Amino acid sequence: MKISFAKAALPAEGALVVGILENRELSATAQQIDRQTGGLISRALAASRFEGKKDQALLLVMPAGLDVSRLLLAGLGKVADIDAQAAQNFGGNALAQLLTAGDQLVTIAVDEFPGSSLSAADFAANAACGAKLRSYRFDKYRTKEKKEDKPSVKKLTVSLADSAAAKRAFAPFESVIDGVFLTRDLVSEPANVIYPESLAREAKALAEIGVDVEILGEKQMKKLGMGALLAVGQGSEKESHLVVLRWNGATDDAEAPVAFIGKGVTFDSGGISIKPAGGMEEMKWDMGGSAVVIGLLKALALRKAKVNAVGVVGLVENMPSGTAQRPGDVVTSLSGQTIEVINTDAEGRLVLADALWYAQDRFKPRVMVDLATLTGAIIVALGDHYAGLFSNDDDLATRLQAAGKQVAEPLWRMPLDEPYDKLIKSDIADMKNVGGREGGSITAAMFLKRFVKDTKWAHLDIAGVAWAKKDGPVTPKGATAFGVRLLDRLIADNYEQK
Amino acid sequence: MLSIGFTVKAGTDAVAVGVRPGPILMPTAQAADKTGMISRVLAGAHNFAGEDDDVLPICTPSGWLVLVGLGEADGQNAARLRRIGGNLFQTLAEDGIKHLDVALDLDPSETAEVAYGMRLRAWRPAAHYRSKPDPETVWTLVSASLVTRDPVACETSFGPLAARATAADLARDLVVAPANELTPDAFVKRLQDLGEQGIDVEDVDLRRHRLPLLQAVGQGSSHPPRLVVLRWMGGRDKDRPIVLVGKGITFDAGGLSIKPAEDMEEMKGDMAGAAAVAGAVYAAALRRARVNVVGVLAIAENMPSGTAGRPGDVVVGHAGLSVEIIDADAEGRLILADALSFAAERFKPRLMIDLATLTGAVEVALGHHRAGLFCSDDLLAESLLAAGEAEEEPLWRLPLTEVYDEALKSAVADLRNCVWEDGPDALHAARFLQHFVPEQVPWAHIDIAGVSEAEEDGPLGPEGATGFGIRLLDHLVADGSKG
Repeated sequence: MKISFAKAALPAEGALVVGILENRELSATAQQIDRQTGGLISRALAASRFEGKKDQALLLVMPAGLDVSRLLLAGLGKVADIDAQAAQNFGGNALAQLLTAGDQLVTIAVDEFPGSSLSAADFAANAACGAKLRSYRFDKYRTKEKKEDKPSVKKLTVSLADSAAAKRAFAPFESVIDGVFLTRDLVSEPANVIYPESLAREAKALAEIGVDVEILGEKQMKKLGMGALLAVGQGSEKESHLVVLRWNGATDDAEAPVAFIGKGVTFDSGGISIKPAGGMEEMKWDMGGSAVVIGLLKALALRKAKVNAVGVVGLVENMPSGTAQRPGDVVTSLSGQTIEVINTDAEGRLVLADALWYAQDRFKPRVMVDLATLTGAIIVALGDHYAGLFSNDDDLATRLQAAGKQVAEPLWRMPLDEPYDKLIKSDIADMKNVGGREGGSITAAMFLKRFVKDTKWAHLDIAGVAWAKKDGPVTPKGATAFGVRLLDRLIADNYEQK
Repeated sequence: MLSIGFTVKAGTDAVAVGVRPGPILMPTAQAADKTGMISRVLAGAHNFAGEDDDVLPICTPSGWLVLVGLGEADGQNAARLRRIGGNLFQTLAEDGIKHLDVALDLDPSETAEVAYGMRLRAWRPAAHYRSKPDPETVWTLVSASLVTRDPVACETSFGPLAARATAADLARDLVVAPANELTPDAFVKRLQDLGEQGIDVEDVDLRRHRLPLLQAVGQGSSHPPRLVVLRWMGGRDKDRPIVLVGKGITFDAGGLSIKPAEDMEEMKGDMAGAAAVAGAVYAAALRRARVNVVGVLAIAENMPSGTAGRPGDVVVGHAGLSVEIIDADAEGRLILADALSFAAERFKPRLMIDLATLTGAVEVALGHHRAGLFCSDDLLAESLLAAGEAEEEPLWRLPLTEVYDEALKSAVADLRNCVWEDGPDALHAARFLQHFVPEQVPWAHIDIAGVSEAEEDGPLGPEGATGFGIRLLDHLVADGSKG
């Protein structure tokens, strides 16, 4: 779906979206249409329950007196509540109503809202961003989908007085959307297509846009001493990889980078501690953390962000086999610390342990954020609305929460206290890899903390939010790419040269 | 039970003295070291470094000399001093010493905290559950005198702390009591004893005050449900009270949604929230606190039987909202819903806090170190979090949000009581309760399912019932009544 911005004028074809404020208050365009059509909108509002509340919509087919085939009256809510996120939701919800309706062209008419903190240009850019994010589909494997089930919309035009300003405001969104779509693609792909080597290849493709990509294979990792990561992959036929992505956008090459570490278990069967069969197919998205890191680096490179950023993703497949690691095995991590592997299905933290250590040792980052679909416990703790945030630094935690709030990827802080650490004491090694079901996401975070020196660090447990079971305003059901927009915002607000 | 006093001079043959890392002997320890014996022992004892969990009893010709590690002077705080007191008691309780003088050379308020720790640690389940005591584990240590230059100041500091400890003992006794002893009726009788302290105890007539959700939970048991109101009106008449609401399921079999057999015996402790509320009101009364505090205890036994409520039953609660009970084992939120609604209507609280062993999900979320705090009011949340830290009953705030209204939608009623799919049940439960609390009342819900019983011995109590909540609630009440 192509996006463009045009001078305000009523379109001659396709579908037209017009916003209505709460209490049936008409925007300037809506008033104009109402006059031109002899009161079409007023009559429609009088005959329906539509009041202009957020998320409400009223679709009029073949509206008399207009050239378009459909007129969608979409609720804006109260003027005071209109912010960037509301505009994105507005765009996303409106597009969802029309995506498969039959029109090729959708026009969203945007007006200045007196009393709103958001300019018409910013509203337009955000609405376009929301619509584009919502338009995502992963349908490459549907070979026989009927034409009427496929999206009809090819082009979205946002019309407003100052279309040039809207176009400028939209430009940075475009890069982030590209990053989000890459992440969603990688997460949606099945595990026979995306495995460590092919995922590394996808990351390597970012070299074209200026990202420096290094790929380490098993031989190199063995030499380095990444015994924890390698143990997870040893049951699989597929070779494990560690990929380092670097975007050096700061004017000073030597400036310490911001580092992002991602868990990339391309398929998690649980290994010898095998998972129950029901729902196991979902484990293709156990590489969600690494996909977010790769998508983020793409976004940063595309918008030429003035920051030095490093991504480190540990890519493995966790399989049961004759060569797999066994419960009870003791492995030596890159840090030198030993780990008793009680449960081979608590593998993400083993991968992250080595990736975290490698990242901080080699790059001495200013801050370090890891993302992982790490624990089922976080889903019981926080559900599918919030991701869990664990951090050793209050300032970093506050910045992350602020960024998450802005892009509607909310984080909820969870404790990281010493009393939880004793739960991962091992009888024979420095630690064990599970601390029991109770407080399970906290003990997982405490485990990771043992691989963080004094670097400012945060861990995002995205197991509950990486995959949506139902449509959201800007995320269709499926891979959400939760984290890409959040971390892009974090960098833009805190770590980028102005 | 340990009796505690304060005195100017040590007078017995068992004395505990303080040592800081170094080792640096505190003045009394120095005085006792005239012969250099302590220094010689310390030079050889590798396990005693003067750290705050070190206790080393030495047998001297003149009696017991107990070296107590105090840790570095820097960083000494109430929490650490309490732990020192707790460890000291625990180490010596069974050693044959009957009376101990504790001469650590601390300030009066610090000395009081040490005494508080000893007092908290000196609880164990009542002896009458055994036919004969085990002679090896009988506590010989029955009294302690803490030596101080200012016994009056110590008494003043210790008074409210002793009240808290006494109240915690009550709650722990109640939680430990087996469910055939502590039936709803028996629970009410125990609470009536609190009248002696000036607490007004009302056994609410449930024929006059209709609490249908409480009735629905209790209807499967031959012991009918009860609602008890405890009132300590130490403040001015016109002051609106602090209202505390507690879940008191004396036994939770799960009703018709019966629980698995394994560990079901732990469900005798499903009244820990009510016990904590009773304890908090008791503590305020013992302190003669100038505050109005009301406890509302919803008490029932959740049993499967021919008269039990069935999954799918719809009940209209005290607040007028209908609830489809899809899981008879999500019963705590039902009795709390009625109790919260009743309490808000009748007492017009200035703030309302409920405590409940409500969900297994909160244990998965926070484990056994912190309780889950859900709060509609940021200021109240901050006060509770601070009180929890001060009393080492730590809380962690979890989300209270309308996001979960969708999950609580019922096909036939206003609400359903839970969601079957694996999900954030603690969050669902908290949001469920919020529907029964008037919006203008600042309200907090504390899910203590993970902390009401300890899995192992700690410095402030043995494994088992902790009395979690009393100390933090009384701390909050005490802070609030100052203002």
